[in-house]
Amino acid sequence: MKFTVPILDVKDLNFEVKGQSILSNISFEIFSSEYIAIIGPNGGGKTTLIRMLLGLDKPTSGEIKIFGKKLEDFKKWYKIGYVPQRASHVDSSFPATVLDIVKMGRTSQRGYLSSFSEEDKQFVQDAMLKMDVLDLSDKMIGTLSGGQRQRVMIARALASKPEILILDEPNTGVDMVSQKRFYALLKQLNRDDGITIVFITHDIGVIADDIARLFTINQKAIICNDPKQTLSCQEMSELYGIDAHSLHVHKHEH
Amino acid sequence: MLEMFSYDFMQRAFVAGIIIAVLASVSGTFVVLRRYSMISETLAHSALVGVAVGLVAGLNPLWMAVVVAILSAWLIEYLRSEFSLYSDAVLAILLSGSLAIAVIIVSLGGAFNNSLFSYLFGSILSVSSEDVITIAAFGTVALGILLIFSKELYFIAYDEEVAKTSGVKVKLLNFLLVSVVAIIIALSIRVVGSLLIGALMVIPTISALQFRVGFLKTVLISLVFALVSVFAGMTLSFYFSLPSGATIVLCVLFIFIVSLIANKR
Repeated sequence: MKFTVPILDVKDLNFEVKGQSILSNISFEIFSSEYIAIIGPNGGGKTTLIRMLLGLDKPTSGEIKIFGKKLEDFKKWYKIGYVPQRASHVDSSFPATVLDIVKMGRTSQRGYLSSFSEEDKQFVQDAMLKMDVLDLSDKMIGTLSGGQRQRVMIARALASKPEILILDEPNTGVDMVSQKRFYALLKQLNRDDGITIVFITHDIGVIADDIARLFTINQKAIICNDPKQTLSCQEMSELYGIDAHSLHVHKHEH
Repeated sequence: MLEMFSYDFMQRAFVAGIIIAVLASVSGTFVVLRRYSMISETLAHSALVGVAVGLVAGLNPLWMAVVVAILSAWLIEYLRSEFSLYSDAVLAILLSGSLAIAVIIVSLGGAFNNSLFSYLFGSILSVSSEDVITIAAFGTVALGILLIFSKELYFIAYDEEVAKTSGVKVKLLNFLLVSVVAIIIALSIRVVGSLLIGALMVIPTISALQFRVGFLKTVLISLVFALVSVFAGMTLSFYFSLPSGATIVLCVLFIFIVSLIANKR
């Protein structure tokens, strides 16, 4: 697979809270159709990095470009699907059916007061079909299992037809069978639909065969393009705080 | 029962009450889902400052209530977004602060009388034709805004950050929602009273949530509960000479208890 178009371009990113450095000199590029896994210890800055990419937190210094535009000028947020850490923890009393939730994914592309168009319906149905939640359409979100909720959240993110899917450890509280199914779905979205995936995870061993590159974040970033380099990377082991997992990572091609 | 409709003041009170029931229940759904229930209490107390200024300065208390409630709503949103303050703490500070200011203004102006009492607890006798026109005009605008932005407000209620990352203008819509809620509360204090309007805004939605149905059905159930409560409350208020706000709130509380028991799992 050839990666030529940089869709996320991060340069010299720093983030400080009350003088304490959380992220320091982070630079990387992510290309169209890549599958990137981000690992690192808790508190290492993984979620902070994602939040800055999504415009939820402002960096202390540095620059982020999305689809070639500075983050401040970027408007087409529907191109990015985001599934947060708490994806499977939904307030059980929230009045929403599965269809209500997935339809939210079309909100920013619909005009104010506009009805739900045939195109909107089609995108929602496609996303639900892809995530195998179409038969749950009328179920209340609070009655679903953790794995089902997780798939609904991804269907919601897919309903906007995103080019990038950013997932922040959405597996918390989800059983092993659902997790395996989830990894297979991500692989399918990346390989079949060409969606760029940026995935924060602790289960790097399970998806090692699927990913293109591995980012290790612990205040600084180490980007591994080669499995051997990952295994022997002393600096990475120090950053991660434990021995690196045994990995088989595809070489990144430009 | 039809006898009560032969009185002009009852006709005015019912028209105002129906508009308020619609506004309070629809806006209340967003307020409750955003875990913002206490904002209605705080804004009601802020509106009281406007009423106090209006009574003392000889201005229309309802208009002044609308202005002060909107300013207070903006202050709450500003403090919540720009400072590291807990939302409930901000609401508690403004609630007690507003009440203190209102009491001081009224005391200094010598306006501690029945007129203020009617704004505190609601009075169907006090609803004038001018009030009905003001409530209808502002109410139409408020309901229009809620309907136009309903899907965005629903998304924000579900998950503010995910909505923001999807391109929804969360900050602007938060300001808009609290402004609309402020208007609705200020309009409602004539009939329900500033100390009781929070209940009419929050309890019908909480009762509707017990049925565990989708969003649209929840809004409709909440609306029916609010209308039934206002109708029953004002009728009881007329026949038993009770304050309208208190009877309406007791009716909505009764509906809540029945909903809770009927849906117990």
